Amino acid sequence: MIHVWTLLISLAGFAALALAMDRHQEDLFGRELSPRVTRLLRIVGWAGLLLALGVIVGRQGWALGLVSYSGCTSLAAGLVFLALVVHQRRRA
Amino acid sequence: MTPAAKWSAAADAAKATEAAEATEATEAAKPARPAKPKPRGIRQTMSDLHTWSGLLAGWLLYAMFLTGTVSYFKEELSDWMRPEVAWQAQTDAGEVAQRVADHLGQVAAGTSQWSLTLPTERSNTASAFWRMPQATPGARRTFGSANFNPATGQEVKARDTLGGEFFYRFHFQFYYMPVIWGRWLAGFCAMFMLVAIVSGVITHKKIFVDFFTFRWGKGQRSWLDAHNALSVFGLPFHAMITYTGLVTLMALYMPWGDQAAYKSPAQRQELNMQVNAFLQPGKAAGVAAPLAPVDAMVREAQARWGKDQVGRVTVTNPGDSSARVAVTPGDGSRVSMSPQYLLFDGVSGKLIEVHDKVGPAAEVRGVMYALHLGRFSDLQLRWLYFIVSLAGTAMVGTGLVMWTVKRRQQLPDPQRPYFGFRLVERLNIAAIAGLSIAMAAYLWANRLLPTDLAARGAGEVNVFFGVWGATLLYAMARPARRAWIELLWAGAAVLALLPVLNALTTARPFWRSVAVGDWVFAGVDLMLWALALLHVMLALKAQRHKPRVKPARKAGPRAVERAKDDAVAGTGTGTGASAGTGTGTGPGPGVAGSATSAREGA
Repeated sequence: MIHVWTLLISLAGFAALALAMDRHQEDLFGRELSPRVTRLLRIVGWAGLLLALGVIVGRQGWALGLVSYSGCTSLAAGLVFLALVVHQRRRA
Repeated sequence: MTPAAKWSAAADAAKATEAAEATEATEAAKPARPAKPKPRGIRQTMSDLHTWSGLLAGWLLYAMFLTGTVSYFKEELSDWMRPEVAWQAQTDAGEVAQRVADHLGQVAAGTSQWSLTLPTERSNTASAFWRMPQATPGARRTFGSANFNPATGQEVKARDTLGGEFFYRFHFQFYYMPVIWGRWLAGFCAMFMLVAIVSGVITHKKIFVDFFTFRWGKGQRSWLDAHNALSVFGLPFHAMITYTGLVTLMALYMPWGDQAAYKSPAQRQELNMQVNAFLQPGKAAGVAAPLAPVDAMVREAQARWGKDQVGRVTVTNPGDSSARVAVTPGDGSRVSMSPQYLLFDGVSGKLIEVHDKVGPAAEVRGVMYALHLGRFSDLQLRWLYFIVSLAGTAMVGTGLVMWTVKRRQQLPDPQRPYFGFRLVERLNIAAIAGLSIAMAAYLWANRLLPTDLAARGAGEVNVFFGVWGATLLYAMARPARRAWIELLWAGAAVLALLPVLNALTTARPFWRSVAVGDWVFAGVDLMLWALALLHVMLALKAQRHKPRVKPARKAGPRAVERAKDDAVAGTGTGTGASAGTGTGTGPGPGVAGSATSAREGA
């Protein structure tokens, strides 16, 4: 269960980070978002990744926690990537 | 592929590079630059290093990655490959240890050491190996091994197979060659991998900007984006797994340090105790004495570590008055493989020593070892290991394919590629599509070879290599594109039909496994279908891949210029052209810039 939470939080974090990039803003909204929103998204993204680390390390300790964290973040980044590709394809 | 299609593929790929280069050129050309060619920068030399270290070891690395990936489920695979061994609920570890120990007394009579691995949630049987009594002093050490039914202690009568252990062993020592050679070869490949990872990171100048970028349908650009995504997302894992892979065999690769430091036998034994939980049998006293009850020792360990935390029981000189028993915790308890054990007197059954810590250096090695094997993982973490490791396999695969994608456009005559190109192209097909078929064939052989066949376990492995070799011959005989498509479809078919074969040849078809809650069997069946689906998707992708027909003129002038640059740089095959440093001979920044943005906007 703790893995699911870590995965979901890092998923949200990576999604926010992707939304903070102009290329993907263009892709999703057809325009660039304002610098303020972008900065906010970037902060939320990094905070999400840190929170995920805190959650898993708090439960499993540093040894196991870091290993799980690395797995969850890899998977989460991959899922965000795939979602963007799917979106791009459906629009095309 | 028809000649026309081939040519347009080349033109298409050329266009993709051109777009990529144009991007680079715009960036590079912002400040006014002198017309003189610059010396090759760090990124370009690293790019070459990345290309060649990746290619030379690539085919073996792909096989090492894929067999290593499935080895995270080797226990499950081994169970699946011994369908005679019925699935059963867990029993008490102490009782199992005692039952099997009683039988080992007969099966391995006269041995100086036996070691028993207790069953776990993931493995149905207790397994043991023992030293064969030496016929003549100084002869080669040989070992016997067997699996035991935890409920009865009897030796399991199942078909002779190496099970998932074959993939695991192949992953770091290959087959058909002395173990030491295999491990050295694996070490060289791992070192190449490490070089490829580091040089790849240096080459990839836009890790953050392009983090989530994938440009669909742009030939080489798309391949590069996919390769980057697979590499970057799993980077912590890829770097860790490669480095720790080398650490697992470091004593073999670099023995000089401890050879110089530890000279006397006593020192060497001390070193051994720091890295190894296996007791080395001492000299037997020659006085017969029965082995004390093992179950009591296992219970004492359970009291110390927890009920499910006992992994292994090792006995030296059983039946002798010098007998020693070591009880070792299972792999699940901690992220380290450094030896921990309770040492008991084998005759009185008294606890002699608690070995629970090692020096810092040995502990570092223990942690790295454990990280590589991932045996501490619970089910979720094991799946994460599997998925990211599969991404690593795809990373190597896309890298291999990219070598040909990148060079196809530069072929002087696309219909008659030079020898090296054809070699790489065909080896790629066999190494990637062929390996899936060979691994599935190994499982087919497991179900189809007669159970009473002599040396059956080795027979299954011979089928694996036979089929793998056959896919290479097939890849050489067919046009490359057809070979990809046909072999991917074949892979999908043999994978998808395996659960069917299982249902026909065993009493444990998928629906029954689900009904009784046997998730090892059901899980392997499901996984085979999932992998079959993956192959269907790849096959469809390869089939639908229609190179867009574009006027060829775009490739013209730049290709000539590239050829000139290469002649100057002396790289011959044109590796520099796509490394993305733009040697300053391209069109002006304005033209290139607008071309790029037009394409990106499209």
